[in-house]
Amino acid sequence: MTGAMHPGTLLILSLAAALAAGPGSLLGSRPWMASQGVGWATATAAGFMLGIGYVLLSAGQAMAPAATLLGAAVGLGLMRVADGVPGAPRTSSDVARVSAPPPTDPGAIRGNALHSAAEGLAIGAAAAAAASLAGFLLLTFAIHNVSEGAVLGALLKARSWRDGPAALVAIFARSTQPLMAVMTLLVLRAAPGLLPWCLGGAFGALFYLIVAELLPQSYRHAGRTGIALVVSLAAGMVALMGGTP
Amino acid sequence: MPAAVFLAALITALATGLGAIPFAFIRGLSPRPVAFANAIAAGLMLGASLGLLAEGVRHDPARTFIGAAGGVAFILLTQWLLGEREVQFANLSGQGARRILLLVIVMTVHSFAEGVAVGVSFGGGEALAIAITVALAIHNIPEGLAITAVMRPRGVSLVACALWSVFSSLPQPLTAVPAFLLVERVRTALPYGLGFAAGAMVYMVLIELLPEAYHAAEGRSIATLVGFTTVAMLLFQQYL
Repeated sequence: MTGAMHPGTLLILSLAAALAAGPGSLLGSRPWMASQGVGWATATAAGFMLGIGYVLLSAGQAMAPAATLLGAAVGLGLMRVADGVPGAPRTSSDVARVSAPPPTDPGAIRGNALHSAAEGLAIGAAAAAAASLAGFLLLTFAIHNVSEGAVLGALLKARSWRDGPAALVAIFARSTQPLMAVMTLLVLRAAPGLLPWCLGGAFGALFYLIVAELLPQSYRHAGRTGIALVVSLAAGMVALMGGTP
Repeated sequence: MPAAVFLAALITALATGLGAIPFAFIRGLSPRPVAFANAIAAGLMLGASLGLLAEGVRHDPARTFIGAAGGVAFILLTQWLLGEREVQFANLSGQGARRILLLVIVMTVHSFAEGVAVGVSFGGGEALAIAITVALAIHNIPEGLAITAVMRPRGVSLVACALWSVFSSLPQPLTAVPAFLLVERVRTALPYGLGFAAGAMVYMVLIELLPEAYHAAEGRSIATLVGFTTVAMLLFQQYL
């Protein structure tokens, strides 16, 4: 694996990934949003994330297995807590299943921001482990941010928000992602002993994101055989490229 | 050792029959508990697969991932073959009967790969073998549950449901021993075998367990269950 990513590079790249939420918000109210393309893109992102998660977990386990696995449990728990905040992004199938009222505008934005902060933690840990992994992860989060922006955009458009302000708010809500990523990287540079915990935490957070959001979204847009194949191939490819830690 | 492999795989097969037990007390089962059972099974299988991959990568990363691709291809191929066939089921008739038989056939065929997983895991050490055996035994219970949940409401007796469930897992002891002997005699086959088992299990999770689970429960609950079960399984393998 390559060395850690520079904080400045991480900030620029993760800001670029967060910007993808803007165009995403414009897709939110378009009928063709529910196309198969979204399913395939999300499945590819899920596969990449799964592969990256595997490499991060392996790297952490090679350093300190217990800390890494406990960190994974903490990462899962944090994502679950962030998802439990009223207004956190929710897939449409979940919305249909849960009878809770739709969140208010500030609630939705706050929930989205907290959710992206937990994702930023995973990006920061990956950046501390290897620049190449972080680059790959940022690419997958850019894809993910499009669909996150679409979910928030759809909600805001339903409340008569115009395209411009909705896009700005979607980007603003995702801005906690780069901030948390850079903060995590800086903390890990100052206290490298925390790295196994953070690698485990990153695996837990990515794993939760994949199973809670990306896979249900993908299955809804395309057949399960194709989605399973795309996820497996993408994950296998990244895991193989990540090599043995 | 082959006797121990056979016994372990037989235990995993017999565990499938346990899935019929809840139906001794109830006539039907709501979809939500089945979804949670599938999520727990998915977590156990993913945790077991990560253990298999780690063991394989320690030997040879490239061979492990070639094996994993083979595992995915195997499940794809069996699925494709089954999808093309018209089937009949002697004691039952109609669409429901076809569905039951397809379910039993699918589970029987994919349990070939599970038998291979048990067999090759014995080549990777005792701790890995116990972890994989436990994971697959627990995984088989919801499979028995699924078979019984479809057969029982159509008047099939509880004993018959349990026997059909065990039947669907019988390939496990039959394939476990040859797989073990292969990786024991030809050590270079071990990473291929470990990868094959991991690939097949991950693909089964993606193609069966998770989509079924999402039908009856929200993604967050499924993710929490799958995630913590995976981590618990990894801890179990690490410190067993």
